[in-house]
Amino acid sequence: MRARAVALATLASVSIVGIGWQLGSQAIDVSQSLTAFTGGTATAATVTATTDAAAQAAATAKAAADAAAAAKAQADAANTAASAQAAADAADASTAAANTAATAQAAATAAAASAAAQSGTFTGAVVQTQFGNMQVSVTIANGAITEVTPLQLTNRGGRSVAISNQAAPILRSEVLAAQSANVQSVSGATYTTQGYLRSLQSALDTAGF
Amino acid sequence: MSLDTRTTRTGPALLHPAYKKRMRLADTLQILCVASVAIVIAIFLADGGAARFSTPADVFTSLGIVAGLVGTDLLLVMLVLAARLPPVARAFGHDQAMAVHQSLGKPALYLILGHAVLLITGYALAENVNVFIEAWNMFTGLPDMPLAFLGLALMIGVVVTSLVVVRRKFRYEAWHAVHLLAYLSVLVAIPHQLSVGGLLSEGSIARYYWLALYVAVAGSIVVFRFLLPVVRSARHQLRVASIEQVAPGVVSITLTGRKLEQLRATSGQFFIWRFWAHGLWWQAHPFSLSSAPSGRGLRVTVRGLGDASRQLPQLARGTRVSFEGPYGLFTENARTSPRVVLIAAGIGVAPIRSLLETVSFAPGHATVLLRSHSVGDTYLVDELTDLCRVRGAQLRVIAGKRPKGVSTWLPADAAKAGITLKKIVPELTSSDIYICGPRPWTDAVVRDARSGGVPKKQIHYERFDW
Repeated sequence: MRARAVALATLASVSIVGIGWQLGSQAIDVSQSLTAFTGGTATAATVTATTDAAAQAAATAKAAADAAAAAKAQADAANTAASAQAAADAADASTAAANTAATAQAAATAAAASAAAQSGTFTGAVVQTQFGNMQVSVTIANGAITEVTPLQLTNRGGRSVAISNQAAPILRSEVLAAQSANVQSVSGATYTTQGYLRSLQSALDTAGF
Repeated sequence: MSLDTRTTRTGPALLHPAYKKRMRLADTLQILCVASVAIVIAIFLADGGAARFSTPADVFTSLGIVAGLVGTDLLLVMLVLAARLPPVARAFGHDQAMAVHQSLGKPALYLILGHAVLLITGYALAENVNVFIEAWNMFTGLPDMPLAFLGLALMIGVVVTSLVVVRRKFRYEAWHAVHLLAYLSVLVAIPHQLSVGGLLSEGSIARYYWLALYVAVAGSIVVFRFLLPVVRSARHQLRVASIEQVAPGVVSITLTGRKLEQLRATSGQFFIWRFWAHGLWWQAHPFSLSSAPSGRGLRVTVRGLGDASRQLPQLARGTRVSFEGPYGLFTENARTSPRVVLIAAGIGVAPIRSLLETVSFAPGHATVLLRSHSVGDTYLVDELTDLCRVRGAQLRVIAGKRPKGVSTWLPADAAKAGITLKKIVPELTSSDIYICGPRPWTDAVVRDARSGGVPKKQIHYERFDW
């Protein structure tokens, strides 16, 4: 290779990899920005949802709490596949602290969001993926999504189970924060995400949400 | 009145315009090649890959994914290099493209092997099982994995049979048949990339890019490696017109056909020939043109070295000949300098003979060196003598055996006397040097020319041994 070819090739490669890096870090930012607020649980307890602004704050606080829990779950899940389920449970437990905020938020958004939405628990369709079936149920109260429960997770191969257990809590908290199935894909768990969100969307459709 | 600065120019500043164009093309292709590796790494990073290095399991898995991406990209580059794509042939020449193809073989295999080993380890760590159980789980549990394992096994076979030590034990045709399994090994690996690889999941841009890459590579192989030779062979209808004995075991074969002027072959190039006669049709031979191609006919001069080359003198007139080519940059197109030195050993004289006919130089600015064991076993000397007289070139025959254990291209006494190429041809540095002969001998001439101060771009040689 001539010197100028080497120089140009290096320049091209660095820019291409740089663009990839940039795109990638945007994706990571979205999934991690939620973890930026620490101590969210503490603030959440003091919130009373009377105004839109307060509701907004509550939503943020709750999201932070959820995400913090999810991040913890993620870290735990990565350590051993066996402890993944336990970690997810831990995540659920720690989010209970933020439930006050969640209710507040639900109440606040209820008026703005679809008033027609029914309350109750709705089961989504079974979505088939290369790695097994996905199915979730969604709980809607007062026009807000208050809980998403996985009924079936991708389970073809132990690796797939580990991925699902890692991704499900993250997806749950993202969905609760966004109040829709329109959330960022979990990096490294593309198929789980697709199945999860499609099943969720069908449940939301059933609920008329 | 202004000064004419052109007269102050010194040295061989005249670059052949074709050379510049060719180097630009070569630069572009090399940059594309490197960029393709960068793109697959970017695909990994764009998926958030940079964040997946936090645990040992993640590190193994992420590295495994990158190894697979880069390895597969290199495999596709190798396939393109072997596809006889016209731009590749124009920029690098068939033999250099194949040399790069060969040099990429081992790195590509190591990356693909690394891909398998790293991912099995990473998955096993994530699930807390040992690697054998994990390998079995992958084989049985994940979609398309049995095919992927088959592809890996085939690839190991292809690369191992291509290691020089192993390859020597096979005859060319047997080795080549095994080598063609590389196509299969690349094909069967595709499904798992699309189904198991979350990176290339449905609907992503990366998936379209990846598929487009495969379609482009497969397309160029089908068109340039297979279809084009068939179409051109059918179009030109080559047949053996005459066979002339040049020396014991050496024959010149003249071929005629239709629309030969449209072949766009030039002196110094070679074709890969297939003679459709009993016992010969299943072998393909790379032979150089030994006279300038014209609308009237093509001529090759062949020495009976290989087993089938021995049957060539018995070819009947009218035998059908199919071909792939013309290939090679051992031509006027590679010129960079005003003077020419043509150096041949043994049957390597064939392309030198055709070059001498048409290569451009002013009378007195060309030297032809013929190297042989004895003055008697040089081929086509009469033709060369005539051509040299007509075109104003100097012909020298350098005869004598090479000394044992010394790396030189000259006879023992000349080497001992300290003769070098520079002493034989004083204007060496302002010359293009064309070398054709056996590989070790060629390497020795190249070394001598380089130590005589000749830049690489002025040295041209081509290798036929597989």
